[in-house]
Amino acid sequence: MKLIKNDHLAPELPDFFQDLVKSPKMDIGMPDVSRRDFFKISSVAGGGLVLGLSMGTSSKAKAQSGAATSTLSPYVQIQPNGRINLFSKNPECGQGIKTGLPLIIAEELDCAWEDVDVIQADIDGSRYGAQFAGGSTSTPMNWMAMRQAGATARAMILAAAAQQLNIPVSELSTSDTRVVHATSDREWGYGEFAELAATMEVPAPDSLILKTRDEFKLLGRRFTGVDNNDIVTGQPLFGADTHMEGMLYASYSKCPQIGGRALSFNEDHIKSLPGVVDAFIMDENGSPKAFNPGGGDMFSGVVVVAENTWAAIKAKRELEVEWDLSNAEVASWDDLVARAYALEEQDGEPLMINQFNGPGNPPTQVSADKGDAESVLGNAETVVSSFYEYPYVSHAQLEPETCVAKYENGSVEIWAPAQIPQSGESGSAVLLGIPPEEAAERVVLHQTRIGGGFGRKLANDYVFEVVAIARRMEGIPIKLQWTREDDMSGDYFRPGGFHSYSAGLDSVGNLTAWKDHFITSTGDDQAPMTSANLTPGVFPMDVIDNVKLTQTMFHNAIPTGPMRAPSSNAFAFSFQSFMHELAVAAGKGHVEFLMNTLGEPRLADPENPRSMHTGRAASVVTEVARLSGYEQGANEPGRAKGLSFYFCHSGYVAQVADVTVSANKEVKVHKVWAVADFGFIHNLSGAENQMEGGIIDGISQLFNAKITFENGVIQQQNFHQYPLVRMPQAPELEVAFLEPEEFSPTGGGEPSMPPVLAAVTNAIYNATGERIRKMPLFESGYKLV
Amino acid sequence: MATLQINGQTMDIGEVDPSTPLLWVLRDELGLVGTKYGCGIAQCGACTVHLDGAPVRSCQIPVGNLTNQAITTIEGLAAADGTLTPVQEAWVEIDVPQCGYCQAGQIMSATALLSQNNSPSDTEIDAAMSGNICRCATYSRIRQAIKNAGAKMTGTAFYDAAKAGETA
Repeated sequence: MKLIKNDHLAPELPDFFQDLVKSPKMDIGMPDVSRRDFFKISSVAGGGLVLGLSMGTSSKAKAQSGAATSTLSPYVQIQPNGRINLFSKNPECGQGIKTGLPLIIAEELDCAWEDVDVIQADIDGSRYGAQFAGGSTSTPMNWMAMRQAGATARAMILAAAAQQLNIPVSELSTSDTRVVHATSDREWGYGEFAELAATMEVPAPDSLILKTRDEFKLLGRRFTGVDNNDIVTGQPLFGADTHMEGMLYASYSKCPQIGGRALSFNEDHIKSLPGVVDAFIMDENGSPKAFNPGGGDMFSGVVVVAENTWAAIKAKRELEVEWDLSNAEVASWDDLVARAYALEEQDGEPLMINQFNGPGNPPTQVSADKGDAESVLGNAETVVSSFYEYPYVSHAQLEPETCVAKYENGSVEIWAPAQIPQSGESGSAVLLGIPPEEAAERVVLHQTRIGGGFGRKLANDYVFEVVAIARRMEGIPIKLQWTREDDMSGDYFRPGGFHSYSAGLDSVGNLTAWKDHFITSTGDDQAPMTSANLTPGVFPMDVIDNVKLTQTMFHNAIPTGPMRAPSSNAFAFSFQSFMHELAVAAGKGHVEFLMNTLGEPRLADPENPRSMHTGRAASVVTEVARLSGYEQGANEPGRAKGLSFYFCHSGYVAQVADVTVSANKEVKVHKVWAVADFGFIHNLSGAENQMEGGIIDGISQLFNAKITFENGVIQQQNFHQYPLVRMPQAPELEVAFLEPEEFSPTGGGEPSMPPVLAAVTNAIYNATGERIRKMPLFESGYKLV
Repeated sequence: MATLQINGQTMDIGEVDPSTPLLWVLRDELGLVGTKYGCGIAQCGACTVHLDGAPVRSCQIPVGNLTNQAITTIEGLAAADGTLTPVQEAWVEIDVPQCGYCQAGQIMSATALLSQNNSPSDTEIDAAMSGNICRCATYSRIRQAIKNAGAKMTGTAFYDAAKAGETA
């Protein structure tokens, strides 16, 4: 199989990031680590010779006393004792990036991992470019830049060593944090050249010689998380753990009916409660129904500021608030379901997509259709039609929204567990009326470890809330703590939706036409809510010639946003369950039907190098079938395997689930096999962790996750109403990766999750003959055991 | 002025509202923030601590109800010199944590289980750990880490730390 080379192909930034990732401090592109202005600025601040960690202090003095830390780039410092500080630029939310990015630097720096201390970088777009956790982009976006950062520092160390030792640089090499002179059989630690190295000329990126894969000593092996020791000993790491002297604690209560505004509350009573310091209505401008985490918008509600968290929560429970409901949401999920099923036999409006016309030109709206699906369906040997439903889902990350801020003299300092902290910064500037040119000085955000993101903390609503509270409580550090109930009823949910499919099979059982009437929600009656849109590039629509897509939008402004594998987390269930229906209707095995549909190895869209490569897709399907024994042996009564494949976020994943279904519909998922192609895997433990977590996340959602709303009020408040998978239900897992040499790494956090949804429902079909077309499964009487 | 017995020390908690859950006293008054808030209704287990050696949900224990019970938190497991317990060691070695937020609670539940039974069956692990949610779903590694820790404690099973990750 011939595979194309995409080693320098930057990932496509998901649409919503285009608007979100903008900060007065940030330049969207990746700053070159050799950029002269970085070194110029640092040199001025650091005093010329050695550039210290604390730019404001006299590093020169420290250098003279021999106690300085030498800064070689924004990513690399060498401590006086020779240990290496590597800065991890992006937020860590459990995806392992705080380990993964520094590993890449360490490889090209040619240092021993044991000699490395990893430091979470602060937010500074001028040094680090875009700093965010989303879209499974952190690894692919930074792969080359991190390699160059390491290679740059290594070249500077070698140049310094050559000068200091008076040995030609061509005679020197490096190994395990040491400069080696093979001719004389001598070696020195990097630390011996650190001071001089910091003054060396920064090599041009195109002069750097990067390692080939067979020269990697670290990358590709299994590395454990750099924070593991602190996690298992309970050290302060997370946003919730931030503590400051004199800090007060706040709760914030919003209207149960989404979009209601606070008019008045029992202020005298609340203020009389023990431990309560202040209580007030906060009603900043903002659209409570739109996913707009970058704009500094906020919901209306009542703040209680107290001496500790418990007093703030206790007072919150005694709030009696009069709400203005004139603009509050009135949608009910059950109504939407009834209206959707009434449209099952109909088409919607033609689905239009944006065709981009280059920078500066407005996009054109064009039809998403291909070929002539109607006439091909009319002539098809077999037409299969099905209607699929999936619900609203909450992120349920285990750390409820929390943030600390201190506002003083017109400036704010923030400690935030946030997936797009730069939008938290820029939005805070907007909120405080700070002009963009002053934002870098007056808004400072420190990123903390995030206690789970899954997309919820792409929104910075809780950051803006604490900033607004801190402004009101000027001079006092404030910690805002949402309760679980605040979180579950105040989410930007994964939107629910419906698909009415018709597909045509020709006389030999090949898929020839695909029709989908997609039913979704809109807040503005113009476009679907965030993450509630259908895109035509999804398999199998991307590889078949005749596709007709229509859409119906119900007015419903329940807030939605991206959740792990946005769109894909629902599409994969319905698309790949329906593909199995088609395989059965065609009288073919699932693997054979997928192979026939994928066809010859090629890019699905030859014009788009980011589109699915059918050869890579076929490889993961073939391998997971082999690994799991999918096509071997008869299924036992009530026990069978099911398969599914999905491509998203540049990742190819096929999964097989082995399930038993009892007579009373108890489902045991015994084991799930997963085979993925994420390009080169640079930390095996991290990649496996993402896959293992993604599989169980999917199973959890498939069986039990459903958020409902009645008259704009979210009906689920806590885990007793929104159960997650627990230890006894977790299946055995087996994970393997294909690593075609031609491809650089992609991210595994998101593509790991979607396929398992249909793998399990297809297995249930194979075991029982019952086709499942609705998530979650508990509503059809199934119980995960 | 009230005191609590925490991690072998007598700690002064001042004039705290006796209805305050132990969780918030640990976090806000004593700076022991390893114990986490996840749900407040004993559903998630992130706030698990030991009361006289037994795992309890600290979000459900009003501090006024405590007398002289010995409280152990995640900060009290490792030795004063930083030496990890076998459970903590196993957690690090096979790289259990993803986001890590729930792991203090998981470790407290696992530690209590292993203190009673250092070679638990899968069913016993299921029973002891079912009160702890891991949203990142690290369950298969938690199960393996418990088995590895048990092997370390008994010394009866062959245990190769360098290969521990290979079984994850």
